[in-house]
Amino acid sequence: MPAFKIPFNGYSVKFSPFYENRLAVATAQNFGILGNGRVHVLSLPPSPGAPIVETAAYDTSDAVYDIAWSESHDSILVAAIADGSVKVYDTNLPPASNPLRSLQEHTREVHAVDYNPSRRDSFLTASWDDSIKLWTVDRPISVRTFKEHAYCVYAAAWNPRHADVFASASGDCTVRVWDVREPGSTMIIPAHDFEVLYTDWNKYDDCILATASVDKSIRVWDIRSFRVPITVLNGHNYAIRKVKFSPHRGSLMVSCSYDMTVCLWDYMVEDALVGRYDHHTEFTVGVDMSVLVEGLLASTGWDELVYVWQHGTDPRAP
Amino acid sequence: MAMRELVTGGATCAVPGSSSSSSNPLGALANALIGSSSKTQERLKEIPVATPTGPENQFFQDGVPLRTLPGSEQDGAFLPPNAQGSEFLRTFHSAYQNDLADAWDDVQHGPLPHVVSDMRAGTVLRPPPTLDGPPQRMLSGLLHSFVDSSRGGIPFRPAQLPLLGLSERDKQCIRDRSTIMGRHFFADKSEDFINSQVNALLHSLDIDSDVRAKGPLPGRYRELEEYWNESQGMMRPVPHVADGWANEFNQLGVNPGNPESWARSFEQQHGSNGWASEFEQSQLMAADRMRGANLPNMAAMEQSRMLAHTLAQNNDPKFQNSKFLQFVSKMSRGELIIDDNQVKPAPGDWASEFQQQYNSGPSWTDEYLRNRGPDQWADEFTAKREQVQSADDQWANEFSKLHMNDWADEFGQQVAEGVFGEGTANDWANAYDEFMNEQIAMKQQSDSSRGVYVFSDMNPYVGHPNPLKEGQELFRKGLLSEAILALEAEVMKNPNNSEGWRLLGITHAENDDDQQAIAAMMKAEEADPSNLEVLLALGVSHTNELEQAAALRYLYGWLHHHPKYKTLTTPEMPLSFYHADVAGLFNEAAQMSPEDADVHIVLGVLYNLSREYDRAIASFQTALNLKPNDYSLWNKLGATQANSVQSADAISAYQRALDLKPNYVRAWANMGIGYANQGMYEESIPYYVRALTMNPKADNAWQYLRISLRYETSTKGSEKHSFYSMTCTTTLITIPLANFVAPPPGMTCWKLAILGIWMLSKRSSLCNRQAPPVTRVPPPPHSLGQWWRFVVHR
Repeated sequence: MPAFKIPFNGYSVKFSPFYENRLAVATAQNFGILGNGRVHVLSLPPSPGAPIVETAAYDTSDAVYDIAWSESHDSILVAAIADGSVKVYDTNLPPASNPLRSLQEHTREVHAVDYNPSRRDSFLTASWDDSIKLWTVDRPISVRTFKEHAYCVYAAAWNPRHADVFASASGDCTVRVWDVREPGSTMIIPAHDFEVLYTDWNKYDDCILATASVDKSIRVWDIRSFRVPITVLNGHNYAIRKVKFSPHRGSLMVSCSYDMTVCLWDYMVEDALVGRYDHHTEFTVGVDMSVLVEGLLASTGWDELVYVWQHGTDPRAP
Repeated sequence: MAMRELVTGGATCAVPGSSSSSSNPLGALANALIGSSSKTQERLKEIPVATPTGPENQFFQDGVPLRTLPGSEQDGAFLPPNAQGSEFLRTFHSAYQNDLADAWDDVQHGPLPHVVSDMRAGTVLRPPPTLDGPPQRMLSGLLHSFVDSSRGGIPFRPAQLPLLGLSERDKQCIRDRSTIMGRHFFADKSEDFINSQVNALLHSLDIDSDVRAKGPLPGRYRELEEYWNESQGMMRPVPHVADGWANEFNQLGVNPGNPESWARSFEQQHGSNGWASEFEQSQLMAADRMRGANLPNMAAMEQSRMLAHTLAQNNDPKFQNSKFLQFVSKMSRGELIIDDNQVKPAPGDWASEFQQQYNSGPSWTDEYLRNRGPDQWADEFTAKREQVQSADDQWANEFSKLHMNDWADEFGQQVAEGVFGEGTANDWANAYDEFMNEQIAMKQQSDSSRGVYVFSDMNPYVGHPNPLKEGQELFRKGLLSEAILALEAEVMKNPNNSEGWRLLGITHAENDDDQQAIAAMMKAEEADPSNLEVLLALGVSHTNELEQAAALRYLYGWLHHHPKYKTLTTPEMPLSFYHADVAGLFNEAAQMSPEDADVHIVLGVLYNLSREYDRAIASFQTALNLKPNDYSLWNKLGATQANSVQSADAISAYQRALDLKPNYVRAWANMGIGYANQGMYEESIPYYVRALTMNPKADNAWQYLRISLRYETSTKGSEKHSFYSMTCTTTLITIPLANFVAPPPGMTCWKLAILGIWMLSKRSSLCNRQAPPVTRVPPPPHSLGQWWRFVVHR
C-alpha cells in the first residue's frame, strides 16, 4: 500500500494489539532536536491499493520519541515526550479532552515506553535522565523509579512470560535485567563496547534477549550464561536503532538502523540476514511487526514517511 | 467638561509647566478613586503578557523573536518591566507555580482516585509554540545539513545564521540532543570528530558548547563520574561543608602542594574532631562490623577507595599524575591517616593492622566470644576467611561487594524479624552473604582456568593396587564421591588411561559437577580422540554449560568417528559448525539406523542446544523406547521437560531415573529444581539437601538451595518461624558441634551448618524418598526474579 506522508520526522511506529488495521506513529519536528511533535493514529485500507488514512492526530509542544498501545484498552495510547512528560491519549475521546493525562516526573527526554503485556495495567518509561519509571494507569504518580544506569536509558522491555521482569538498554553500554519485586537490578550484562540503543525479549524463550548497539551489531544473549552472546549479527552499516523479536517465529527479528535500512534476521540459521529493505531515504528509526497479521511490517524514518508492507513484498509497491 | 477632567486637571485645567497629574493632589486622589487615568492605562500596557514561561519571554511574542525586527531596540527600551510589572509577574508565578502545584501534589498524594476520568489531567494543553516562521525554516535547514553531514562523514560547515532568538531552554535542547544523537550517527568517528561536528552546529546557532551538556561520553570515565557524583552527594547534607571542600579543592588545583596542607586547612575549617575522628572510627569499623554495627561511617573510606580503584584503571597520564588523586588513593588504603591535625603515614598496612587486631591474644574477638558464646560461628567464619586472604586490601574489595549486595540487606531484615536481636542476625546475614560472594568470585576465577582438572587432596586411594576396578565398583554402587577419589588415583597412576578419565568424567557429571566433568573428559579425549562415549559426554556437558560451538564440535566429532556414520561426514573436520547442518546429519543417521538409541540421544541433545524442546523430548522418548533402563536418559528427558516448562512431567521422569539409580546426585538436584520451578520451594529443599549430602561440592545445588530458602521464606510472609530464623538458631548450636567433626573436603562450615539444621528439623522427610504429592495446585510463583538461575542439567 502507498506510504503515508507525515509532516514531521518519524520516530516510532506501533501496531495496535487489538485491531489489525490500526497503528500509531510518533513524530518530531527537526529530527527531534527542537520543535513540536505529533502522534498519529492511522488506519490501514481494506484493500492493499488504497491509501492509509489518518483517524486522529495529537499535537505536542515537544518531540514525541515513542508510543505504545495499551494492552488493556483498545483506544489508549501512551506517548513518550521529549520534554520529560508521558502523555496518555484516548482515541475515543474528542481531541479537546486529550491528552487524558500528562505525567511529568522524568527530568529529561523520555525516550521509550513499553506496556506490560501480561500485567496489563502497567507500563515503563525509559529516559535520558538515566532512570526507568514504572507506572500504572490508575495512579497519577509513578510506582517506582529504577535508577542504576550511569547514562541515558534508551529502551525498556518487559519479559513476555514473567510479568515482573524487564530489561533496560542504556548508553552506559550495559543492559540490566530487573525484577520489580527486587530492590535493585538482578543482572548487569556488559552487552557492547558502545552505547546500547535497544533491547527486546524473545517471545518464545524467556531467557533470550537481543540488544542493538551503536557498534552496528545485534547481539543475542541467553541470560543464563551472559558472559558471551549466543550470536553476533553484523550487517548494518550504522548504529542500530531498534531490534524486535517476531511475535510469530521464535528466532525471527526485525531491526532498523541509521544506515536507512530495515533488516530481518533469523539468529538460528547460518546466514542470519534473511531480508533487507532499503525503502527509506533517511535514517530509519521506527519499526514494528504486527501481532495480529503474521509477516506484516511497518517502518518510519526521518524521511517523513510511514510504510506498511507484507514481508517479502516491496514496501514501495503502490 | 467631564468630572474626570475637572478633578484630574485634564487638558483644560493643566497647570502650565507641570507635566504630571501627580502635582495635583486632587488628581492623585482621583487616580486612587477612579482607578485609571490614561497614563496608568498606558503603564498597564507595559506589563508583559503574563505567560508562565519565564523572563526571557519578554522578548517574544508567539515565539517570533522581536529582537531581530527593525526598531526592536526601541521596543527593548521600554520592554524591561517596571518594578510594578515584575512584582506582578513574580507573585503571579509563585501563585501559579508553587501554591497550585503544592495543592495539586496534596491532592495527588492523598487517597488516589481510581477512575481514569477523574484525573483527566486537569491540564489545559498549552497551545504548542509553532515553529513555522522564516527563522525556523532556516533552523530546520541547518539541522538538516547537520544530519546530512553524518552520512558522508564530511566535516559539517554550516553557514552563519542570523540570530534566531532561541531561548535558553531551546539552546539546551539543541545542545543536548544533538550531542547525544551525534554520538549515534558518528559512532565510527573519533570523539574529536563528533565534538567538532556538534560544536560546529552549536557555534552556528550561537550556543555555548560547554554549558552543562548531558554528561561526557559514557565510555571510560562514566564510573569515575558516578563515584564522583556520589561522593559529592555524600557531602550535600551539610552544604557549607561541600562548599568549603570545593574551595579547598580549587586551591589545591592552583597550588598542587603537599597533601598535608590540604588536610590541615580542612582541619582548620571543620575542627579537629570532624572528619579525622570519623576516619579513625572507620578504621575501627573492621571490628565494629562483627558486632553488627552500622556501616555508614565506612562509606566515606569506601567511596575514596572506589574512586581510587577506578582511577587506577584509567590510563590517562593526567589522572595517574594527579597529586590529589594519589592522595585519595593512599587515604583509601590507609597508608595515610589523620592524626593530631596532621596527615601521617600509617604505622603499618591497614589490612595487617586489622589482622593484628583480632589475632593478638586478649583481643576483642576472644572477649566477644566469651560474652556471646554462640557467636563462635562468626569467629569461625573470620578464621576461615583469613586463610584465603592475602594480607592486602582484598578485604576492602570484598567488603565493597557486600556493600552493593541487596540480598544481604533483605536477608538481614528477614532475620531481624526473627527470634534474635538485630545484632546477631545481621552478623549472620552479612557473614553468610560475604561468604557466598567469595564463593562466586572464586568460581569466576576458576572459569578462567577451566578445562584444568583439579584433584582432591588427601586421596586415600593413592597406592591402591587396582584403583580403576575399585572405582568402577564404587561407581556401580552409586558411591560417586568415593568413586571419584578412586578414579583420580587411577588417572594419577596412568595419565593416559582414557577409560579411567572417561569414567571419572561421567562420575563427575552424575555428581552434578560439569566443570570437572569437562576437564576429565578433555583428558580422556586427549588420550583417545575417537572414543565415542567421551565425545558424546563432552557434547552433553558443553550443552549444559550453554556453550553451543564447543558442543556442536564434539557432537559432530561423535558422528565423524562413528564407524557406521562416518560416511555422512567430510573427511576433515570443518572449522565452524552450524546447528542446522549438524542436526541434519544426525537426522540422516537416524534414518539410516532407526534402532540406534545413541543417535536419538544425540539428536535430543542437539535440539536442547537449539531450544527446540518438543523435538528434543520426542527424540529422547524414542531413545527410551529402545533403552528403557538408561537412568541418565530418563534424567535427560526430565531436564528437557523442565526446560520447556513441563516441570510436572519432568518430576516423574526424574523419579524413573532415581528408581533405576538411587544415588544419582544430578537427578536429585534436578528434582529439586522441578519443584522450585513450580513455585513449590519448600518441597524442593529436601531434594537439594539430599543431593548435597551426597556431594557437597555440587555448587549449582548450593545456589539453588539458597534461592529456594529465600523464596520459601518470602512466600511465608510474616510467619515468625521462617526458615531463616530457624537456621540462625540451629546454626549457633550446630557449629560448635561441627568443629569437633572434621568436615568432608569441600564442605565449609556454613554449608555443614545448613545441612545440619535440615537434618535436625526435617529428619523424617529426608529419610524416605517419597515425593510430595504433585497434584497440589502450585502457589503462584512469588518471585522468580532469578528464575534463569535454574538451568537444569542433563
